[in-house]
Amino acid sequence: MLKILLPTIMLVPTIWAVPAKYLWSTTLSYSLIISLISLTWLKSSAESGWSFLSPYMATDPLSTPLLALTCWLLPLMILASQNHTAPEPISRQRTYITLLTSLQIFLIMAFSATEVIMFYIMFEATLIPTLVIITRWGNQTERLNAGTYFLFYTLAGSLPLLVALLLLQNNTGTLSLLTLQYTPSMQLSSFADKLWWAGCLLAFLVKMPLYGAHLWLPKAHVEAPIAGSMVLAAVLLKLGGYGMMRMMIMLEPLTKELSYPFIIFALWGVIMTGSICLRQTDLKSLIAYSSVSHMGLVAAGILIQTSWGFTGALILMIAHGLTSSALFCLANTNYERTHSRTMILARGLQMVLPLMTAWWFIASLANLALPPLPNLMGELMIITSLFHWSWWTIALTGGGTLITAGYSLYMFLMTQRGPLPAHIISLDPTHSREHLLMALHLLPLILLISKPELIWGWTA
Amino acid sequence: MHLTSIMMATSLIIIFFLLAFPVLTSFSPHPLPSNWALTQVKTAVKWAFFISILPLCLFLNEDAETIITSWTWMNTHTFDVNISLKFDIYSIIFTPVALYVTWSILEFASWYMHADPNMNRFFKYLLIFLIAMIILVTANNMFQLFIGWEGVGIMSFLLIGWWYGRADANTAALQAVIYNRVGDIGLIFAMAWIATSLNSWEMQQMFTLSKDFDLTYPLIGLIVAATGKSAQFGLHPWLPSAMEGPTPVSALLHSSTMVVAGIFLLIRMSPMLENNQTALTICLCLGALTTLFTATCALTQNDIKKIVAFSTSSQLGLMMVTIGLNQPQLAFLHICTHAFFKAMLFLCSGSIIHSLNDEQDIRKMGGMHHLTPFTSSCLTIGSLALTGTPFLAGFFSKDAIIEALNTSYLNAWALFLTLLATSFTAIYSLRVIFFVSMGHPRFNPLSPINENNPTVINPIKRLAWGSIIAGLLITSNITPLKTPVMSMPLLLKTAALAVTIIGLLTALELASLTNKQYKPTPKLSPHHFSNMLGFFPMVIHRLTPKLNLALGQTIASQTIDQTWLEKIGPKATTTLNLPMITTTNNIQQGMIKTYLSLFFFTFGLALLLLLY
Repeated sequence: MLKILLPTIMLVPTIWAVPAKYLWSTTLSYSLIISLISLTWLKSSAESGWSFLSPYMATDPLSTPLLALTCWLLPLMILASQNHTAPEPISRQRTYITLLTSLQIFLIMAFSATEVIMFYIMFEATLIPTLVIITRWGNQTERLNAGTYFLFYTLAGSLPLLVALLLLQNNTGTLSLLTLQYTPSMQLSSFADKLWWAGCLLAFLVKMPLYGAHLWLPKAHVEAPIAGSMVLAAVLLKLGGYGMMRMMIMLEPLTKELSYPFIIFALWGVIMTGSICLRQTDLKSLIAYSSVSHMGLVAAGILIQTSWGFTGALILMIAHGLTSSALFCLANTNYERTHSRTMILARGLQMVLPLMTAWWFIASLANLALPPLPNLMGELMIITSLFHWSWWTIALTGGGTLITAGYSLYMFLMTQRGPLPAHIISLDPTHSREHLLMALHLLPLILLISKPELIWGWTA
Repeated sequence: MHLTSIMMATSLIIIFFLLAFPVLTSFSPHPLPSNWALTQVKTAVKWAFFISILPLCLFLNEDAETIITSWTWMNTHTFDVNISLKFDIYSIIFTPVALYVTWSILEFASWYMHADPNMNRFFKYLLIFLIAMIILVTANNMFQLFIGWEGVGIMSFLLIGWWYGRADANTAALQAVIYNRVGDIGLIFAMAWIATSLNSWEMQQMFTLSKDFDLTYPLIGLIVAATGKSAQFGLHPWLPSAMEGPTPVSALLHSSTMVVAGIFLLIRMSPMLENNQTALTICLCLGALTTLFTATCALTQNDIKKIVAFSTSSQLGLMMVTIGLNQPQLAFLHICTHAFFKAMLFLCSGSIIHSLNDEQDIRKMGGMHHLTPFTSSCLTIGSLALTGTPFLAGFFSKDAIIEALNTSYLNAWALFLTLLATSFTAIYSLRVIFFVSMGHPRFNPLSPINENNPTVINPIKRLAWGSIIAGLLITSNITPLKTPVMSMPLLLKTAALAVTIIGLLTALELASLTNKQYKPTPKLSPHHFSNMLGFFPMVIHRLTPKLNLALGQTIASQTIDQTWLEKIGPKATTTLNLPMITTTNNIQQGMIKTYLSLFFFTFGLALLLLLY
């Protein structure tokens, strides 16, 4: 564990020590090396248990894919931010990269924590750099409002979790993930136990976000700079899914009935947020709402509590992480050229940036879950496990896939196809940096087709 | 492993490699040579066709069918997804047919698209499409089939929207995907049901395990999937709209290969389908309705490609009827023969459209027989094959279907609709020939008419040969899986022919009536019904999106997200806390009186508590 964590921490002094000229290239290659080393986690010898154990940290098949994704994302964020921070003074650029790095430190500790309370602390700690990224580095005044929403939704959701965790500590005497699943299941019957159940999950449901508690997400996504949007969509939302999967084991006897309304909410959210996407004019907002829709499916897959549901949820989390981050990057390439997120202002880009269109196309297809991309594997597994629970869910999930296809292609057609508007006179040509960025997003996704068990979690 | 299986597997892998090779090499950063399409792509498909003959010969000689499972792709505790290939009568025969047709179409496309700056990319798309189609056909596994299924759908999106500057092309492309997605819901439903109930997506296992289950619901799912892909009634409007794509695309995707995928799926699943009467009846009625409705629509269209498209849809309906008759092999036969003559009809219309300077309206054609004798002859051959003229390709499949229909005791209503549609086939086919080849020219005097190009003549010629002899070849070589009824009354035997001839005579009579006006205004409402496609797109394409978009805007976005969720969440927190904050704030303004009175109040309260 420390093999990754310490280099990540040491990245911070590096950022400040390295000459300005080499700042971006050094940090990029440094973080990329870290992420390449982190891939060794995927090759764990223990088939289903914990590996790379240290006193407080370990990885298991559930956290490994998310950890690898976290490490993978830092170089991508650095790559994506290079252009829009270029006009800033060098010390601010260093601060910015430091922020991104600190986020990775917290995230690694969150995903690899073996103690629930440590996970909780790191879960909360990630709020700070994210808040700074949104409110300091966003572009418009609405960013302050977005930051407030982001902070208060997440905090209000997660304070009950602290109480619930302390109660759990009182009852079982331990909060270690290594042993928690072996503690005898509790007798949960009273109303207070049900509240405790809700407290355990609420934080994660808000973080996912569940439909109804999702207002912070589109705001945060829209106002955050590109790196913020990327890490929010790719990793931070997945904290919610990860936490739910961890907590579910302890909540066993209660979950069956209590989760019904949440499943319905999540699935209904798939339809509703999908419909909102169909009417979006704002590119980033569309992608943000599409995230809510996909994470609704993930939430439903976790709450259904079958091995297929868990596997599907984990696959979809990883696949969606890469896809939505890629889409945000693409949106940002448009934004950097037209300085507007409004889709109708930048149409027909296939004419000028044909290679970008190829990336747009692949990313849209990944978003609408084209087989055999992992997105489809995840969705199909979740749909199947939901279907096994109740036949009627196919109406919602099926409708969801239809709407997803609708808005993904609407986004593609709107930005790439059609005639080029007359006001677009001189667009920057695409940079190799941008193509590299897209390739680093989409290649892992495509390569995962051939070995999906890497991101399967416990079922493998 | 048996030698025959090795030969079959090897040839399939070689076919895949041959087709994938040009796609892979095209990713090199160097620009492709301008003749890449002809020298690389067409040649690859041609050789793939010749190689696919090998398993066909093996099959014809030894009746050898085989399944090859090569690699476990995904493996959970109880559920495997494998890469597994199926070589049975359907895939072994369909692959050469598809490759043969594609070969011709690619050659034609090199002429049709020669002015397009991105012609190489166009060929690449067609090639990827072909690969997806062969994956679909040879899949022995639902997941693999789904890959091919969605692959052809997405390639159709790209190819319909080829001229992406035009709004119509983009709309048509989106429309195709969305209609297909509705069908996909059915397929996903069926796959989920199969996964949960039968616990396997391998076809042979599914067929064995499904004996004890009531399969009505998953089969309905599969029928919905086929409805979307094969443009059956209800999900049909995308097919005529897809004619926005270039003509080679219409010839390849929307007549001979992709649109038959739905029927092909049902043929594949026929072991599950054959024992379920409900599903069969649904197929029968759906098919009959489709074939009649789309034939009706074809009667009054003026766009030559639209007519051919509707006739495709009508033939797909006929195939669906055949599935409903529980005669999957006959449906498959019709897929094969239909591929030849329908692709040829499209190529002929493409040639004519190109010759008349991109004119698609048949009212502005005429007299083409003198100017493009070869193309119009082939157009006539294709139309005759389509109507089921004896001993052309269509006859062998269509006549057999109608005989099977006549001798079955299933549903007289469906029978009647299908026969009516058959006579309509003759009518609209005659209409095309009458307007395009016969009569006097009605086009602009300066049209670049020239069909004397080997890349036009040869593909059409090859397909014409196919339209003439393919039916005979296939029927005389394959063993029927079901015993056909051999003896029947003369009236039933000749029914198909009779209704076709009646249709033809009626059409001729109507054509001659157009020159002698009896009424000042003809009856307009039936014409409008047919010409406006039964008012179906008008209602569905406005109402459904309107409702859904209104849901998105007014309910989901404005009412819930921007009003209620804001109101009961963040705004409520603000309004609840603000008065308290204001009060506390106002108290502490440095006024000694307030402080003192608060102090004494607290002090008194504490004293009271203490004394008590």
